[in-house]
Amino acid sequence: MNFQEALDFSGLQIQKQYPKKHKFPLLKLPKVVLLECIENLDVLEIIPFSLLSKRAKTIAKLICWSPLDICFRFNRTLQICLKLSTDPDRKWIINYKTNYKTEKYPYYIFEKSDSSVSHHFVLNDNGNPAEDSKRMVEHICDVFRSPISDFHIFDESFIEWIINFQPIIRNVLIPNYVVRSIETLDRILKNLKVTENFHLGSIKTDEKYTEPISSRSVTIKDSFWITLPSIINGTNSIIYLYNSIFTPNDLNTILKEWRMGIKLRNLEFLVINISTMLDWGRFTDEVFKDLNPTESNKNVGRPTKVKIDDEITYTLGEEEEYVNLIRSDGMIGSVFNEYAGNDGEKIFRRFMLQVWRRQP
Amino acid sequence: MSSTEQGTSSAAPAEPTTAPESAAAPEVPESFYYVHGKDKVVHKVSAGALQHSALIHGMISNLGYTEEQAKANPFPFENIDGDILQMVVDWCNQHKGKPTPPEDTNLPKQKEKLFDLVLAVNYLEIKELLTYCCKQVAMMVKGKSPEEIREIWMIPTDAEDEAAEKEAKKRAGKEAAGETAAAAGDAK
Repeated sequence: MNFQEALDFSGLQIQKQYPKKHKFPLLKLPKVVLLECIENLDVLEIIPFSLLSKRAKTIAKLICWSPLDICFRFNRTLQICLKLSTDPDRKWIINYKTNYKTEKYPYYIFEKSDSSVSHHFVLNDNGNPAEDSKRMVEHICDVFRSPISDFHIFDESFIEWIINFQPIIRNVLIPNYVVRSIETLDRILKNLKVTENFHLGSIKTDEKYTEPISSRSVTIKDSFWITLPSIINGTNSIIYLYNSIFTPNDLNTILKEWRMGIKLRNLEFLVINISTMLDWGRFTDEVFKDLNPTESNKNVGRPTKVKIDDEITYTLGEEEEYVNLIRSDGMIGSVFNEYAGNDGEKIFRRFMLQVWRRQP
Repeated sequence: MSSTEQGTSSAAPAEPTTAPESAAAPEVPESFYYVHGKDKVVHKVSAGALQHSALIHGMISNLGYTEEQAKANPFPFENIDGDILQMVVDWCNQHKGKPTPPEDTNLPKQKEKLFDLVLAVNYLEIKELLTYCCKQVAMMVKGKSPEEIREIWMIPTDAEDEAAEKEAKKRAGKEAAGETAAAAGDAK
């Protein structure tokens, strides 16, 4: 079965299982009345309706629907997750399943928990869920006049598609080993403008990357390939680097650049996980060389929570040990150095810089 | 709630036998008007009940009929079937002077009548009843598969739409050609 048969319901024939008295010639209604009827449909009813024919889609598009948050992701199966920004606890999820061959597709599932309600519309993947789901997302964006807000590039074949379909996007997540070279990464970063959060899993490369990454927040797992210029020349507010190979001297450079106030002006929170052979004293000596930090006073108004993205908030307790650097514009940079374990030879440390302003 | 009687024509309707009853009789005598549908059966309805219909309400506001004049001149709705008009009149009487509940249990349950009811309600501009009817129409496809939605709402396929469009164009062409030929014949 191809996409036309699977999703473009315009090809389906009426099976005539309902008696005439249960039928309703919807399209013969006056347009205003027809639109009022359609307005009463749920999100997961509008979508199949609008897929029935070109005329049905045109009708569905005449209504000014509330904008949808569209998340295109891979969570064990391909999923298109939809929600209204006005009602974030209610989700409509289109799933592509392969495992339940005996089920009658498509079918609906309703799930309710204490905090949220999910309506699932389950489709058989028909052997090519990637293409089917792309077409479905294009259709939903068109009908609801809403852009994709969250996108998981879970396969290289999605890179060109998203660059062509929607080159500006709010949040992007790339899981481990989807990107296999710096060239591919460069193509993504130069052609896809990520406005909020960019999460990148491990990539297979021996090369280094020197360009800044433009998103407001950037989280990189196995960030050994990223270089100091990428960070210093960027405009990021949140930077989270796991498994970095930055040295204490690199961290010192970051702090100096931040305090000079020309670069890293948007920085709110930086976390870099590094490994070092240096003991605590030598490590801090190198990190704070020529900086003269001041010891922190507790309870002076430093925020204890930092919002990394829509779902993750990092907590920096009041009891944490830290020192402060003051920038000429009054911004305070609180620097935290946490011990994060060792492998017998190397010591793992979590270096954090939280930028904040004392409230009057 | 409303009373009906077979009329002979819109100009000379039969006298309805009983007036609508109300639990609490109004202090000021209520005015009544008369409507009939395709079947010429005349329904006597209070002005209060008819206020639901923006169309009739507008007509009444402009007429200033006396009771006698109203009896002699029922509003004719030749495009509405008698049983549908009866449903509408019943609904207007049931909801006279009352706030309409969020879920209306008084809506007609027969799906085969729903289409005609929606058209009538839309024509008579009864906003709240139209809202209920439209919800009822949407409810018809609740939890239904795309194939079922297509069948219930009788949505043609693209191929069927294209064929219908071709047919309509062909028919329009033939009609135009016929008119041209007739005009040429007249000219001769």
